[in-house]
Amino acid sequence: MSSCDQFREMYEAYALGALDAGERASFEAHLAAGCTNCAEAVEEARWLVSQLAYLAPEAAPSDMLKGRLMKTVRADAAAAAAKLPVRAKSAIPVWLWAGVAALLLLSAYSEWTSVQLRKDIRETNARTAALLQQRQDLEAQLELAKREATILTDPASVKIRDPKNPQLEAMWHSSLGIVLTGQKLPLPSGNRVLQLWLIPKAAGGKPMPSLTVRPDAEGKFVLLVANPPEVMTETKALAITEEPEGGSPQPTSTPSWVGGLT
Amino acid sequence: MFLSALLSPANPEVSPDATLVSRLLQKDVSAFEQLYDRHSRAVYGLVLRILQQVGTAEEVVQDVFLQLWRHAERYDESRGPFVPWLLTLARNRALDTLRLKSERQRRREDQTEELPPVIAGPPEFEKQLDEKRRAEKARTLMSSLNPQQRRAIELAYFEGLTHSEIAEALKEPLGTVKSWIRNGLLRLKEGLQATT
Repeated sequence: MSSCDQFREMYEAYALGALDAGERASFEAHLAAGCTNCAEAVEEARWLVSQLAYLAPEAAPSDMLKGRLMKTVRADAAAAAAKLPVRAKSAIPVWLWAGVAALLLLSAYSEWTSVQLRKDIRETNARTAALLQQRQDLEAQLELAKREATILTDPASVKIRDPKNPQLEAMWHSSLGIVLTGQKLPLPSGNRVLQLWLIPKAAGGKPMPSLTVRPDAEGKFVLLVANPPEVMTETKALAITEEPEGGSPQPTSTPSWVGGLT
Repeated sequence: MFLSALLSPANPEVSPDATLVSRLLQKDVSAFEQLYDRHSRAVYGLVLRILQQVGTAEEVVQDVFLQLWRHAERYDESRGPFVPWLLTLARNRALDTLRLKSERQRRREDQTEELPPVIAGPPEFEKQLDEKRRAEKARTLMSSLNPQQRRAIELAYFEGLTHSEIAEALKEPLGTVKSWIRNGLLRLKEGLQATT
């Protein structure tokens, strides 16, 4: 005898609720153990028992009962409906929040990108301006170097020397200017500088002040005077004096170098 | 043809009750009213038969339909037809009330369930019957049982008595009562099959 056989006659009574406590507990333990055959049989028996409801004659409940029920149900439905619009008004749909968040993020990212871009542009412009200035400086230096080289090598230039001080030498080109070079010169004391003077041919003419220069640590310098204050034909000699920083309107010391133009 | 295809039900297997119950999930008051109008007489008749008091019966019926309205999701059409489910719910509620009144609740409180258990769908022969025909058939078949047998089943179904209590009430041996009830239900089952 299988374990189900002892319960086979209990299906209908169990569905009906007529089993006594001991039988019911025993059968429920069997069902709880997972017997699908008995479980299906009980479901069928429950349907059969449900048909017993038709033995009760139908009867009409009072209209008041329906009235009370409908009143309660409508109130429930109205409360449920009232909650929905509130939620719809107060709670923006998730997708809309997501859209707004995405827009805010995009906007913030765009602003950040814009700031970064402007910063990059400013830095690039500054670098470009610096490079441009550097190039202009280099071009100017190159131009000066070319000019110096031309003055120094052009046969038309006039070499000016002072036999007493051969460390200094000048070359004057009538149209390009004067290049004054020095080597192994003693450094002027303090911040003092060497200043070039043009001594005019005219009698009583005062020395014309020109540029100043301070030799480097090795006593060397190259000074280009692109626009001398006097023309070569009107100049008798060039002279160098030691002057305070910034130069002087007229010599304040004895010239250390005087080169005459022949 | 196309129009008729559109107008025809998408799933003829879905019962009107199941459709109405599904509308309860959207708090459709109209669907509730239709369900009430369709089944309140059967539910009230059953509950009144068990409780025998109009006021108490109406309270239970109100409770049953409010539970249906507020917890419609508890009915699963795939696990059985609606009407037996609703009537089983009504019977359980009515018997609970009866037991409270008679102080016999202790005896069956473990067995009484808040909601009806799974109920198998009607056999194929029953699917085509409407509720009225089904009620008539059940009544006819029950009236064909001998009075003692019918009385034993009624005591179990409408008063929630157990075999032993019925035996005591009828002054009959326990085994006899068990046989009456089981054989009576099997005859009912056979009768429902035979009369289709």
